[in-house]
Amino acid sequence: MLSKLDAAPLLEFILDRVNIGVFVLNRNMEVVLWNHFMETNSQRPSQDVVGKNLFELFPELPKQWLERKIQSVFVLKNFAFTSWEQRPYLFRFQHNRPVTGGVDSMRQNCTFLPVKSSSGDVEFVCVTLIDVTDTSIYQSMMQDALNKLNEASNRDGLTGIYNRRFLESELNKEFCRVKRYDGSLSFILLDLDHFKNINDEKGHLAGDEILRRTSEVLSSCIRESDSLGRYGGEEFAVICPQTKLKGAMILAERLRQSVENGNFSFHNERVPLTISVGVAELYPDTPTYERLIHEADTALYQSKEAGRNRVTAFERPA
Amino acid sequence: MATPITIVDDSAMSRKLMIRALPPEWDIEITQAANGKEALDAYHAGKADVMFLDLTMPVMDGYEVLETLKKEGLNTFVIVVSADIQPKAQERVMSLGAMAFIKKPVNTDEVSRILKEFGII
Amino acid sequence: MSLTPLTEDQRDALQEVLNIAMGQAGDSLARILDAFVELSVPRIRVVDVSHVADTVREMVGDRHEVTAVRQSFFDDLRGEALVIFGANGCKDLADLMGYAEELDQQSERELLLDVANVLVGAILNGITETLGTELSYSAPSIMAEKAQVETLINLDQLSWSHALLLEVNYSLENRDFKSHLLLLMAEEAIDALRGAIDQFMESI
Repeated sequence: MLSKLDAAPLLEFILDRVNIGVFVLNRNMEVVLWNHFMETNSQRPSQDVVGKNLFELFPELPKQWLERKIQSVFVLKNFAFTSWEQRPYLFRFQHNRPVTGGVDSMRQNCTFLPVKSSSGDVEFVCVTLIDVTDTSIYQSMMQDALNKLNEASNRDGLTGIYNRRFLESELNKEFCRVKRYDGSLSFILLDLDHFKNINDEKGHLAGDEILRRTSEVLSSCIRESDSLGRYGGEEFAVICPQTKLKGAMILAERLRQSVENGNFSFHNERVPLTISVGVAELYPDTPTYERLIHEADTALYQSKEAGRNRVTAFERPA
Repeated sequence: MATPITIVDDSAMSRKLMIRALPPEWDIEITQAANGKEALDAYHAGKADVMFLDLTMPVMDGYEVLETLKKEGLNTFVIVVSADIQPKAQERVMSLGAMAFIKKPVNTDEVSRILKEFGII
Repeated sequence: MSLTPLTEDQRDALQEVLNIAMGQAGDSLARILDAFVELSVPRIRVVDVSHVADTVREMVGDRHEVTAVRQSFFDDLRGEALVIFGANGCKDLADLMGYAEELDQQSERELLLDVANVLVGAILNGITETLGTELSYSAPSIMAEKAQVETLINLDQLSWSHALLLEVNYSLENRDFKSHLLLLMAEEAIDALRGAIDQFMESI
């Protein structure tokens, strides 16, 4: 352990050379200490800064806000903080990643510490400034990755449209929205006719290609607000917010015609394709979103029974 | 003759702190009360020429004590002792008939100053 | 409950220390917001880990969604502070502080962090000044926005079995603004706090 006397020059050296900005202000906002980090980054030597008003030295600082922050430390005798996430920097300094950075200036976290006299009053405010540019870059990289991951987990691997998990959660959201705020909601379920034959006769690669092409055709028909997804093997679904049964039937018929006229082919060989469609609308007494799916499924089954390549609306028992 | 005073606070420690902050030369007879109801009992028993009154208490709080005293014709010198130091809180108790306001934590100098100001000591 | 971490005298002393600290914090808040702050009696509880989420929900009330800020404190005492606002905490505060224009999301967050920091700092300063202890603070951060109360505390992340929970509420006169400030200290911090209270009681 060093005695106090020996420690003083050492502490002074560390304070000056530590890779953190440290400066101290008195009640008149005059700088009383300005360490090496601040000197280097601001390109203002300590002797030019000490004794002068911070806001006269750096007119570009957000004076009103910063003065209020510093005053709060004097008055409330309390720590104060700023974070790069809300305020990217206090001083516009260059960062040390000129090549790989991707941000325009050094990101900073600052702490404002009250320096109390023996009487308990705050005499000075000490500000520490930490370069968090690296952290900010990593965080935005992580955020990008999370967004991509999130997006990927909502998508069907083969077709790139939404998957069943996402469709159900969207449908649930819409269901809750309508229950709370009124409005309408319809759900379309459709199935490729005789898809098993394509798989059996032409192979799974052909089946996959047909599924991809079908999702393209369906995508081109739906409206901006609709959500299209692959519901199961050869089953697709469309959520139609703010849409009554009549509107959903028109859309469903458009889907059916587009597939029928879709000119599907595999290895230059034409593959005729049709779909069977079921449509259901949410009514005030529909108890759950699952029931809505079930009703569309019932209507889809009726389309199949009636000879396929057709659209059926779920009929509510009178 | 010793002045009968009552110290009203639900916290035993707080009453102790208050007693300690009273000027030692003041000739007094101290009664302690843990809520507003006990304070009014002390007042009716003639034990509260001066009352040091906390505001937040169970059973009956300081505001209710002030209101009751006002209704019955205030005849005691109430000094409110409170941790709620907002100026508006002080105005409020003064308008209810308190004579002075001391903020917690109490200190001897402040208590002496107020007692001298009103010629109590 | 098997643990009795505070004697009645210690509890009484802590309650009073907390009253005084709350008064000072309330005064700080009143000065920032230029409004009269209504204080309630602070509550002190010892909770075991399995009940902490229920206790927090009970304290905050059955509000649908909340926005919460957390901040750590350390040195002589060690723990975490949570400041819980209603889901529209940011907007309410911006209104009160007279921001006429719509604040962008980052400015709203900054405002929320600032106010939480003032409340936490004021109450803990009040405690440390009375008890003669020293504290440092980490930067506050937003813990949850428009979240359910019960999701605030993740039981899987807790490594203590008992904690001391100090609760202070602030509301504003004639305004629909409420905030709950919770200070959570785990076992070892309770020992430190108990030591500081004992010392304080001996000194009076």
